Amino acid sequence: MAQPATKTYKKRMIKDGDWAWAYAFIAVALVVYALFTAYPVVSAFLISFQEYKPLGSTYIGLDNYAETLRDDLFWKSIRNTIKYTVLTVPVNLLISFVIAILILPLRKRLQTTFKAVYYLPAVASGVTMSVVWLWIYDPLPEGILNQLIGFFGIHNQNWLGTSDTSMFSLVLMSWLSSHGTSIIIYLAALLGIDDSYYEAAELDGANFLQKLRYIVLPFLKPTTLFLLVTGVIGSFQVFQNAFLMTGGGPDNATTMVGLLIFNNAFKYFEFGEAAAQSLILTVIIATIALIQFKAFGKDVEY
Amino acid sequence: MKSRKKVLTSILATTLSLSVLAACGNNNNNNASPSASDSPSSGSPAASSAAPEAAKDTITALLPPISPKYQESIAQIEKDFNALYPNLTLKIEPAGWEDMTQKLDTQVNAGSPPDIAFIGSSSIPKYLEQGMLMDITDSVTPEMIADYNPAVTLDYMKSGAGLYGFPAYMVVHSIGGNKQYLEEAGVDWKKVQQEGWTYEQFREAIKSGAAGGKHYGFVFATAGVAARDYLTILAKNAGMADPFTKDLKFAYTSKNYLEVLKAVRQMIDDGSMPKELSSVDAGKRWNMFLTGQTMITGKGLATFENSAKANNAKLEANDGSAVKDSIKVDYIVLPVPTFAGAQPVSTTVIDGYVTFRGKKEPTAEHKANVAKAAYYLASGKVAAVTNNDLFASHITESAKAAAASLTIERSAENLAAVERMLTFATPPRPDIPAELSAKAIKLEDEVIIPKMQALLANEITPEKMYDEVMKAAVKEFGADGVVQD
Amino acid sequence: MALYKKTHANPLVRRARDGAIVFVLLLFALATLFPIYFMVISSFGDAVEAGAMNYTLWPGKFTLDSYKFFFDYSEYSLRWIWNSLIVAACVMVSNVVFAGMAGYAFSKIRFRGRNVLFAILLCAMMIPYQVTQVPLYILVVNTFEMENTYTAMIMPGLVTVFNVFLAKQFMSSIPTEIIESAKVEGCNQFRIFFRIIMPLSKTVLAVMAILTFMDSWNTFFWPLLVTNSMDMQTIQLGLKNFRFNSTTYFSPMMAGATVAALPMFILFFSLQKYFLQGVTVGAVKG
Repeated sequence: MAQPATKTYKKRMIKDGDWAWAYAFIAVALVVYALFTAYPVVSAFLISFQEYKPLGSTYIGLDNYAETLRDDLFWKSIRNTIKYTVLTVPVNLLISFVIAILILPLRKRLQTTFKAVYYLPAVASGVTMSVVWLWIYDPLPEGILNQLIGFFGIHNQNWLGTSDTSMFSLVLMSWLSSHGTSIIIYLAALLGIDDSYYEAAELDGANFLQKLRYIVLPFLKPTTLFLLVTGVIGSFQVFQNAFLMTGGGPDNATTMVGLLIFNNAFKYFEFGEAAAQSLILTVIIATIALIQFKAFGKDVEY
Repeated sequence: MKSRKKVLTSILATTLSLSVLAACGNNNNNNASPSASDSPSSGSPAASSAAPEAAKDTITALLPPISPKYQESIAQIEKDFNALYPNLTLKIEPAGWEDMTQKLDTQVNAGSPPDIAFIGSSSIPKYLEQGMLMDITDSVTPEMIADYNPAVTLDYMKSGAGLYGFPAYMVVHSIGGNKQYLEEAGVDWKKVQQEGWTYEQFREAIKSGAAGGKHYGFVFATAGVAARDYLTILAKNAGMADPFTKDLKFAYTSKNYLEVLKAVRQMIDDGSMPKELSSVDAGKRWNMFLTGQTMITGKGLATFENSAKANNAKLEANDGSAVKDSIKVDYIVLPVPTFAGAQPVSTTVIDGYVTFRGKKEPTAEHKANVAKAAYYLASGKVAAVTNNDLFASHITESAKAAAASLTIERSAENLAAVERMLTFATPPRPDIPAELSAKAIKLEDEVIIPKMQALLANEITPEKMYDEVMKAAVKEFGADGVVQD
Repeated sequence: MALYKKTHANPLVRRARDGAIVFVLLLFALATLFPIYFMVISSFGDAVEAGAMNYTLWPGKFTLDSYKFFFDYSEYSLRWIWNSLIVAACVMVSNVVFAGMAGYAFSKIRFRGRNVLFAILLCAMMIPYQVTQVPLYILVVNTFEMENTYTAMIMPGLVTVFNVFLAKQFMSSIPTEIIESAKVEGCNQFRIFFRIIMPLSKTVLAVMAILTFMDSWNTFFWPLLVTNSMDMQTIQLGLKNFRFNSTTYFSPMMAGATVAALPMFILFFSLQKYFLQGVTVGAVKG
């Protein structure tokens, strides 16, 4: 990123005369957004103050919110979600970053192959993935992972079946299977760095680590911010894995907010409460995102 | 000026391309649009000017692939129905087996469910609570009711005074054993099939089944929400046929419940069941059965006999297509043992065609049409074919008659054992108010299942779990609303 | 790339380095590839219902029966893939164009309400879909009556906030001077976007295209809600038709999944060259 330009940019850049263009450019996005995102969100907001029934809801003020804040399970699921997020998002970012860097020096054909290889899991449907992972986590000694740890002399574990290991199992699954997207995005960003930067650095005698520190890291900041924010959002809404692998158990050790909201909205038809929980969740995520923008966004934006 | 004009053209261009996109989407759908505008359950008030007999109506039905053959014959079913009632159109919407509930729940939340959906009778209270079920008591004809044999099966679709659909079949969920292993362990399985057994006898049997250490005595799928199946199957045979007693008190606080919980732990601690039981899922337990890793498995369905036979045939063919490491097994249907001298009660699942309403009050005419369609699906030829596929018991005379020509190969002993279990099937409980049922379901999901998972994983004691259930039940139903013995 | 030294003094060192890297990457790839391997391997099994999960690393029998079964099973087997293609292609093209435009506007043009608007857009991403799905269903099916149409499947995904955000982050690193000089030469923003920004951003646009296509291809819940006949189902829905009450035709399902993965491979490898080259700003200037 062109650091020196950042400061002057603000004053000099894009004359106000172009605002009309800007609105034209975002017009479609905004229309689609208003219809298919904003409208449902506003509906959900209104529903959160109601005892929702398809044939006629009653307004109950803040009861749904009060109920949620009093609910132990809600807080437990928030704690679980935070634990999951803290354990997965930064690690996954690091893994993706390292892999992207490692792919870089390879010859083109190898690069292509590895990119495809790391993106491939996305083509397997969620059901296939869960079947395979259930097999990997088979609790009996012939399970794949149990055989692997048995190799190191560790006794076989009941991976998904006990409170101690079930969360870790979901985290491990995330570490090993969910970074195709981030790797590709990181690679795209890495390839966008102009060679002249490295050449200049080499003239100054910079070594590999110095180049990483002073060129690559600053340049990848916008990308990292993007992956971090979307990663946290995705992680806070995570639902599929817990739903397919553990159903939230054992003893709610893997009940995430996403799963809880799903259960409330559909299993128990407490749509009002589900809406209230969603909005509380949104406030939490938004706060975290804001912190990330403040911490990461300074010299990236405008 | 100039730049503004260009802005305008660019907006125009974008909207244009948008509408092209939209248009290309529409093209391919000419055939489906008329039915889409005919929103479900609204009936067709416009047609009321015509003679009542001939009024056209469309009935929508959300159906999962109940059996492989069922899915193939959807078009035929629609056509036959139309031939039977020329003024009526039956529109079947297919959806995946596990995903159907999600779709139905969204539609119910949106206030526009289909007219008919294929679901279990146990879900009736949930949808009734939302006010979205349609009572067809007034619309069914005496012939339809008379077709049900035993007549009591129709009661599973009732709640209070209302009838909310027609049941299609009844299946018993039980346990099943490996014939050879049972005999090696000295279990007289014929006698058990004919007379049942107590928990004490069962415990000994699985202990000797596991004695050699080569395989387990008993494995039940309990991973995730299947923990509920395991617990209720046992609880039914400990005097708690339903979550509520006859006088509508919550039953799972009785002393017998604690006995069941203790038994759950005992069987694992004996070494008769794997200590990793808490993460054995449905696929795993059947794999363990076929590969000879367990003597008895659960829950057992009638179709398992067929599954085992199919695998035996593959083993014989020796072409590598059989389940890896599997052995030849003969599947023996067994009843669930009884606890503390209680009467046996077999777990029965009644699935059927449940009738829904939309936001508008349905007309009497539309109701009658929906009832006709639901009955058509639940009886006669349609039911005969699916029930045979599933090894499920016919519950209508017309289905039995239609099935007479279809032969199925089943072991006589197993058939007799199933017939016997059907004689003490869980009775229908239309007297339990939907609201109470809904509360019990939530209590099960939020307290009982999580604690049961913990119990299976040896993280809490049976006593601790019992206390937790008691505490939650008293909180939900009051001290007077629960059984205290 | 010049992050690494282009030529080591000793070619052996370079060999060793690359070898080590490939080894590490392969090791890690094992875990990612395993599900795919399993999917493909299972698809060569017998086309019969699987009573039990068959836990095996190498099948005892290779047959193409399941592929035949998949295509013969329903007259719509191919139609499912076709439907998915239409939906995913429309969503992909529209996202590349419109999310790209919006991303450019948000990153490079100053206008009133920019930050607020962007914050509002982002917030929408944070609301769990379980809750917005019901109002959306009411809107699309009950109000617009678009049930069972491609439009209903495509419209909500035309522009996603994720893509706008992605485009914005990438385009913010395009040097502003380029846009400035283009303006001096009399280009309007429309021309700038299509003639300068799009070629400069082809890396991110290609990435966006792939991600959007795959995402749309894998979407399951929304098509489930808005379709109600077999001929309008997408492939992800179609695959579920092989699961029944108590049994699954597992091998045909995996055969279908393997067939369904092919268009994604093709897309991946055809777009691949765009983000291999990288973008050199200098090249555009010249």
